[in-house]
Amino acid sequence: MTRWIAFILGLTIGIAIYFWKENQKNSKIKKLLSSFSPNFDRVDSLPITSLVRREFTYVYEQRQQLEKELAILQDLLFFAPIAYLQVDEENQLLWCNEQAKQLLKIDRWQPGKQRLLLELVRSYEIDQLIEETRRTQEKQIKEWVFYITETQKTRSLALKGFSYPLPAKQVGIFLENRQPLVELIRARDQTFSDLAHELKTPLTAIALVAEALQNRLQNPELGWVTKMLQQTQRLSNLVKDWLEISKLNENPTQHLHYQSLELQELILASWETLQPIAQQKEITLTYSGVAPISLEADRDRLTQVFLNLFDNSIKHSLPQEVINIEVQVNIKEIIINIIDSGKGFSEPDLPHVFERLYRGDPSRTRLAANFSQHGSGLGLAIVKQIINAHNGSITAKNHPATGGAWLQIILPHKEQN
Amino acid sequence: MSIRPPNINPDKTHFYRCLRRVEQDVLRMGSLVEESFRLSHQCLFDRNIDAGKKITALDKQIDKYYHQIEIDCGTLITLQSPVAQELRMLTAFMQLVRDLERIGDYAKDLAEIAVKLFPYPPHPSMGEIAAMSQHAQLMLATSLVALTELDAKSGQAIKQLDDTVDDAYEQLYQAFAYQQNIRGVLEPILLLVLVIRHLERMADHATNIGQRVFYIVTGIR
Repeated sequence: MTRWIAFILGLTIGIAIYFWKENQKNSKIKKLLSSFSPNFDRVDSLPITSLVRREFTYVYEQRQQLEKELAILQDLLFFAPIAYLQVDEENQLLWCNEQAKQLLKIDRWQPGKQRLLLELVRSYEIDQLIEETRRTQEKQIKEWVFYITETQKTRSLALKGFSYPLPAKQVGIFLENRQPLVELIRARDQTFSDLAHELKTPLTAIALVAEALQNRLQNPELGWVTKMLQQTQRLSNLVKDWLEISKLNENPTQHLHYQSLELQELILASWETLQPIAQQKEITLTYSGVAPISLEADRDRLTQVFLNLFDNSIKHSLPQEVINIEVQVNIKEIIINIIDSGKGFSEPDLPHVFERLYRGDPSRTRLAANFSQHGSGLGLAIVKQIINAHNGSITAKNHPATGGAWLQIILPHKEQN
Repeated sequence: MSIRPPNINPDKTHFYRCLRRVEQDVLRMGSLVEESFRLSHQCLFDRNIDAGKKITALDKQIDKYYHQIEIDCGTLITLQSPVAQELRMLTAFMQLVRDLERIGDYAKDLAEIAVKLFPYPPHPSMGEIAAMSQHAQLMLATSLVALTELDAKSGQAIKQLDDTVDDAYEQLYQAFAYQQNIRGVLEPILLLVLVIRHLERMADHATNIGQRVFYIVTGIR
């Protein structure tokens, strides 16, 4: 009897443990399932296997959906009008789109084949862009010119690259082809100079006729014609300046006539020319520097540089102010600082002051245009072209002490033996 | 370069990774040398003196790669004791970087000559010299492509391209040497003779690179 009781007791305990364990397991699985997907609904009535199966189907569908989306995105990237390429940790090309293939002439690459990007595109700039991005783990933007060497000539391609760090040390790069833009700018400049060229002759004719009329007319017609002559002169000067810039831009050195000259004498002579305007405002010039400095340069052109710069300084100075010229010489270069105490350049204008036809403050330059001939917006552009043609450089900033404009010209200096 | 790690030998993967790194440095150096050659061309023929300043900076970088690659190749050869094509590749790299470095040096010299030529009016045969320079650049580009593809045939074909440069050199040399009624100083002519001499040497070095590629692939010198 006791044996039976013991058996039943054992069986009951065994069954109880089994159900307890089973229950624990099921609740664990349910917890697991619910923690995986947020929209898992606890339908406890269903057997646990069905729940798991349902969850699997759901996950599988979701994956397919994502794969489809990925494929669409990849297709979009593939047909994007902007070049895209992606490299792995060792700079091997993983993937690139059609545009990148065409742009960079990647014709020796088949997808899936491991090739170093440098093997396919010999561009140090792209390589450095990638390295930089990987090092900093930040997106980078860089502009450069990519060259393709061909039999007859080297083709250049202005590119702008945007790179993004990706997981697993991969890097993705977008490349924008800026060549059409560069060519458009060139075409625009060309059109402008052609136009200027066409305008030159008729303008001269008009000016001549106006001059002839001036001698034969009485007021009030005389006044009108004089006004017309002034405006024609202004237009004619603009055209002349524009042609000058274009000429210097195309062929910087061929239009220069080098001769030996003395810098201080040249600067003071230029100032002398502007003396009448300077005297009106009682503006004076101070010159400091070692004397004498002789250099090889085009006398007329360099005179024009100083005329333009002084003219600007005088225009933007208040009466009785001083314009400072400081000249320093070292073995390689001559540094000329022209500092006035006027209002200086406005901060947003600074990067553009040397651009053609750029006018900083419209109201100010308009006034200046009536005041002298060089209000065309070409003055500083010419200065830059001339200095560049002399293999020098010019920078514009505001002087910290005077607050006025500070133009620094650096010209190469050959030590006289 | 088409050497891929054979999957059978996992111990070698480290070696192949190192080899890739060296390859990549060689290619970087190659693209820098190409860039300096191009800049020297701009300096001489487009009178772009700014380009000369860039070459000086590039030259320093090229030198750095040159020494780095030599050391890396030496280390790899001694530590990993490669055989056959890999060994040929490493030894060829060591010599090839010297060729590249020489081309870079000549580019720098050309830029210096360009500065000296600057004040003189352009010589009438400047166009022919530009074509010669263009051709030498094409040879360098071809040799670098041959290297990346390990293409023995195009490596060998550069020799034929070199003939064009040699002919141009000979022709220009005759033109300069027998020029009569020279007015003014002799410097521009002397400088131009140096220019064509340099270009001819640069083309020779590019040919050498092609030859080394041929050697890597075939093992025949």
